[in-house]
Amino acid sequence: MTVRPAAPRGDAAWRAARRARRAREWLVQGALAVALVALVALVARNVGANLEARGIRSGFGFLADPAGFNIGELLIDYSARDSYLRAFAAGMANTLRVSLAGIVLATLLGVLVGLLRLAHHPLVRGVCGAWVEVFRNVPLVIQLLAIYLLVTELLPDSSAALAIPGVALLSKEGLQVAVPEDGRLALVAAAAAFAAGAAFAYFAARRWLDIGAGLVATVAGALAAAAAWIAVGLAGGWSQPTLDGFLISGGASLTPEFLALWLGLSLFTSASIAELVRAGALAVPIGQWHAAQALGMSGGQVIGGVVFPQALRLAIPPLASQYMNLVKNSSLAVVIGYPDLVSIGNTSINQNGQALEVIVIIMAVYLSLNLVVAVVMGAVNARVTRAPR
Amino acid sequence: MQIKLVVPAALAIAAAVSPAYAGKTLDAVKARGQLVCGVNTSGPGFSNADSQGKWTGLDVDFCRAVAAAVLSDASKVKFVPLNSQQRFTSLQAGEIDVLSRNSTWTLTRDASLGVEFTGINYFDGQGFMVPKKLNIASAKKMNGATVCVQAGTTSEKNVADYFGASNMKYKPVVFDTAEAITSAFFAGRCQVYTTDMSDLAGARTKAPKADDYVILPEVISKEPLGPSVRRGDDEWFQIVRWTLFAMIEAEEDGLTQANVDQQKASNKDPNVQRFLGVSEDTGKLLGLDKEWAYRIVKQVGNYGESFERNLGPKTPIGLPRGVNNLWTKGGLMYAPPIR
Repeated sequence: MTVRPAAPRGDAAWRAARRARRAREWLVQGALAVALVALVALVARNVGANLEARGIRSGFGFLADPAGFNIGELLIDYSARDSYLRAFAAGMANTLRVSLAGIVLATLLGVLVGLLRLAHHPLVRGVCGAWVEVFRNVPLVIQLLAIYLLVTELLPDSSAALAIPGVALLSKEGLQVAVPEDGRLALVAAAAAFAAGAAFAYFAARRWLDIGAGLVATVAGALAAAAAWIAVGLAGGWSQPTLDGFLISGGASLTPEFLALWLGLSLFTSASIAELVRAGALAVPIGQWHAAQALGMSGGQVIGGVVFPQALRLAIPPLASQYMNLVKNSSLAVVIGYPDLVSIGNTSINQNGQALEVIVIIMAVYLSLNLVVAVVMGAVNARVTRAPR
Repeated sequence: MQIKLVVPAALAIAAAVSPAYAGKTLDAVKARGQLVCGVNTSGPGFSNADSQGKWTGLDVDFCRAVAAAVLSDASKVKFVPLNSQQRFTSLQAGEIDVLSRNSTWTLTRDASLGVEFTGINYFDGQGFMVPKKLNIASAKKMNGATVCVQAGTTSEKNVADYFGASNMKYKPVVFDTAEAITSAFFAGRCQVYTTDMSDLAGARTKAPKADDYVILPEVISKEPLGPSVRRGDDEWFQIVRWTLFAMIEAEEDGLTQANVDQQKASNKDPNVQRFLGVSEDTGKLLGLDKEWAYRIVKQVGNYGESFERNLGPKTPIGLPRGVNNLWTKGGLMYAPPIR
């Protein structure tokens, strides 16, 4: 092979050039990385020195100190004697509660409104169109303030609460509903019933029915959970809201702040979700609509069995970002006095003056929450796109 | 929302290359020709802007007095309305020269926030306001009540202490501005509104019908309110501290806005002559000129005058002088000698 020596020469030249290019890239990127690290270190040192020079306490040691303030509504045990760390946990739990409730309600409303916008009936279509335009185009803060104002102005005082005796009370104190006396048992029972009901329905739907098994399973699970909840209440007795002077005791309570925030976030986000669902549905080729109709399917069957499953697949990635927005928007709670993470952070900043640290904590929590949303929605997306067409 | 305002201030601290403020505030104010003073967004009697944007109040008068002493012109003040959460961050970050925003002097704030209180211009205490129709005669009858309170105030902690010590339960609803609290309270969201007594009296004037609300007699805390400055500038600290003392001293000496010129010409009392800069130059020691105290009285008035026109019985707020009277009249207002 006499041509052989020529080829390595060309190869060697090319390899040398590639080596040089790689070395250059490494050098440049390495220098950038070092500069970035140096900048961060400089800022951090500078902040430390400035805080020190002005006699401002710094560091995260304060988290172990007693917080000293109370929180209006709690999911976890907390009192004024507990630490700042626990106060932040309570705030985070409140953020999670309103975010999860908001995601569920916004999704239900959004899917419903989005699909109804495709209806033939002009009134239905018009109402849903107005829904989307109003809730999507008015700033969320304004919607929250308006809802909160309506709630606090219109509802009666606790002494004249609207009541379904023994079941629910609605007043300026919020919505109080009867719950099973043994709340923990009821929760466990409901969770177990949800799992069992959902599993059975999922299995049944895949086996015998030709419709969205996931959807059927969720609905069936929810029904089973509600039944279990009520069963525990019937067996062990109810804790009923009762009025004593101006105080309401017993039952579980949803405060006006929670209700306003939940409603505001859900309505605002539902408008965007409705548009995602509509866009997804319209992206399904028109031929499939016609084909389904030609097979004699009803309008509901066309949408539920043919269009919606495919629309969902298209809508899930943007849906994830709507969910993340909802989680972040829940920080507007401060304007209506709902004790979310930001509200607790605000109070902490003022009790101990450590603004930088508290803001870092708040940012870290929102970042983690949204990363969780991203991971979950990524998994759902992978699942949906993997499913056979 | 407030976080949005706190963040830039926090970042300003982070970005400042060196602690450049020590000893420089007086020079900065003079070079700027304007005093930047942090005040309350809405505190009737303390700092309140009317429909023309003109600021009035006890704390506002104090800012003007500092400007009169330092810049010879009480009108050269830029008022920066701050809520309770922004106030100290704003001062730390150097966005304001003086914080005069009915803020309580506490050990924690003095020792860990990088600010220093210069004195007390109002002795206050925390109280409770309730709707009259609830027939609550005493704070001890509030077990289980929903309590409206402002975020980031000493009130938030005091109320936790008070209810805890009295073995009572309560549900706090925390808002970040006084406006949000008053509208929620007057709409009936809370049975109780708690804050400093002077604030309650001011808020009551904003009720649809002031007579529908009563302020309970219990005072559950000491709330000495006063101006504060950034740490590390002793020269500026002294100027701000002695401005307040000058206002109190002027009242004790019987010097008012109306009579100060005549007193300056005719009063032979060595105290008064020294105070007004006729005989001695007390200003030099503070880095000011000899007429600094005269201008405070001439342009703003003495402490008593400021109190009467902003908080006194003839105003809608109608607070009595009480402990805020001069020490010679049974109150706590006392200025060290100006000499």
